[in-house]
Amino acid sequence: MRIFVLNGRKINDLFYRVTLLDCCSQHHRCGMTRNDPIKHFFIWPALLIVLIISIFPLIYSLTTSFMSLRLVPPMPPRFVGFGNYAELLQNPRFWHVAWTTTVIAFISVALQYVIGFSVALALNRNVPGEGLFRVSFLLPMLVAPVAVALIARQILNPTMGPLNELMTFFGHPNLPFLTQTRWAIGAIISVEVWQWTPFVMLMLLAGLQTLPDDVYEAAALENASSWQQFWGITFPMMLPISVAVVFIRLIESYKIMDTVFVMTGGGPGISTETLTLFAYQEGFKKFNLGYTSALSFLFLIVITVIGLVYLAILKPYLEKHK
Amino acid sequence: MSVRDLKGNGRWWALAGCLLWLAFTFFPLYWVAITSFKSPLGVVGGPTYVPFVDFEPTLTAWRELLSGQRGQFYSTFIASTIVGLSASVIATAVGSMAAYALVRFTFEVKLLTGVIFVVVSFGGYLLGRHIAGLGQATSLIYAFVAALALAVGSSRIRLPGPILGNDDIVFWFVSQRMFPPIVAAFALFLMYTEMGKLGFKLVDTYTGLTFAYVAFSLPIVIWLMRDFFAALPIEVEEAAMVDNVPSWRIFFGIVVPMSKPGLIATFMITLAFVWNEFLFALFLTNSRWQTLPILVAGQNSQRGDEWWSISAAALVAIIPMVVMAGLLSRLMRSGLLLGAIK
Repeated sequence: MRIFVLNGRKINDLFYRVTLLDCCSQHHRCGMTRNDPIKHFFIWPALLIVLIISIFPLIYSLTTSFMSLRLVPPMPPRFVGFGNYAELLQNPRFWHVAWTTTVIAFISVALQYVIGFSVALALNRNVPGEGLFRVSFLLPMLVAPVAVALIARQILNPTMGPLNELMTFFGHPNLPFLTQTRWAIGAIISVEVWQWTPFVMLMLLAGLQTLPDDVYEAAALENASSWQQFWGITFPMMLPISVAVVFIRLIESYKIMDTVFVMTGGGPGISTETLTLFAYQEGFKKFNLGYTSALSFLFLIVITVIGLVYLAILKPYLEKHK
Repeated sequence: MSVRDLKGNGRWWALAGCLLWLAFTFFPLYWVAITSFKSPLGVVGGPTYVPFVDFEPTLTAWRELLSGQRGQFYSTFIASTIVGLSASVIATAVGSMAAYALVRFTFEVKLLTGVIFVVVSFGGYLLGRHIAGLGQATSLIYAFVAALALAVGSSRIRLPGPILGNDDIVFWFVSQRMFPPIVAAFALFLMYTEMGKLGFKLVDTYTGLTFAYVAFSLPIVIWLMRDFFAALPIEVEEAAMVDNVPSWRIFFGIVVPMSKPGLIATFMITLAFVWNEFLFALFLTNSRWQTLPILVAGQNSQRGDEWWSISAAALVAIIPMVVMAGLLSRLMRSGLLLGAIK
């Protein structure tokens, strides 16, 4: 009898939760969101600061992207319409650089997600020594990218580095880690994975800790294997946060710059050059500001398109699991 | 034994995987730590791994760094600390307020209001710059004020067109991080220079750098804190509302204390971001307010591959963050982010 009552309460509780969730997804009719003039006091400081700092770069770069503007040698700005854009789109270097950036961003984010998810699962399941792992796994995220790249250059040094010694032991001395395209891209990807997997792990672990225990208890009663539990419960329930984390990481990876700059400088040739590095070379080596501005707007378009496609592909899955 | 514990072999496989990842995580940090104690000859002679066994540690690199032979070490460190702490405190405070408002209150912005803002600010800037012949900064200020006033005014009257809700505002904040930083940094440098001509010195000042960092950290803070506040149980706040407690007291008296772990985690992430940031510091400072990443990068470009001194400089940038992570993770004992509120 008591069990029955307990079950009844549980069902009620679940029902309450579901209605609450449903109510929150529709902000406007929800009793939770209030209407109080104080809300303006809460939001305006942030809004003003971001507006002030972001509007000028936007205005400045959009207007210069339609001009031919060089600082060295100084030339008066001249309106060229879509000239800069057309020139860029015909430049094979632009396409090459866009492709390199895409390869680096997608492979490194995919690895970060897979490794980060696995580690987060292990930590969530109280692996032995979990307390130590929790703190130490975060460290790479806190190290300056410039410092990381400098450390990577020491480790990957083809004659004095420890990795060379390891590879010599396996019979491959003096591998060109940073001076041959494939190795160099691999090196950049590993550095990105080293540094940013902790971020993915942190976010996914936070999400995993909010999953309710009772679903797993029910699954255990049904004798579902861990594999089935993962694909049937954990993965679908983690989908929204996964989508958000991967999205943020993709955007940030596309902006990769200091790491590449210090590690390879874009070389050999332009084979590891990324979009921001290309913008830097044009803007601050050649002082070709119109061209750089046009480049950054193309960059913005590329990222927006990738983001929209990404969200459009995932939307049906998100709706399904809502 | 709870359902969360791993059973049987799975436990050991998971442990093995974690240990492997731990080795991968720690090796570079270990390497930079021992390299900073190597002598120049010890570095060039090939890799060595264990101090006192493989090589004799020396303090040459540290002595050179601390005596100021390798750049203005102390002032750089102090500048980094002041800017980092104040920018992340301000960003966390301002961003949490905005995030809370976006979770608990309803906002409705008409799309047309946004369009008016963009059009007026662009048009006003171009008008001021090319037709009225004003300076860049002056025309920008006029355009900004006019655009803001018109946008706020237009939101009072009935406008047709789609209405943007809270989610769209959050997306707008997050999308600010999509713009390539190079151009933003350079344009900001231009704007600061122009403001300097008007009498507000912003390049290489505390105000200028901190303001830029606050603005660029806000999107991340809002994004993180929004999820956090959304997960807080609403019942406590509702009970307070029934008792007619004003909203600002609900926020500062109830919500902030409840979300301490999240605030600490967000503060930590923001501080790490500001402390390690390179590009804005490169453009917006030159001597007085230079930060540590610039000093570290400078070690490489000025003297070539002197790994021992580069390692020492890099460690100075790394150690404070590691210590802080250790301290703060104690404060968030019961889990990292959301774990604490369950």
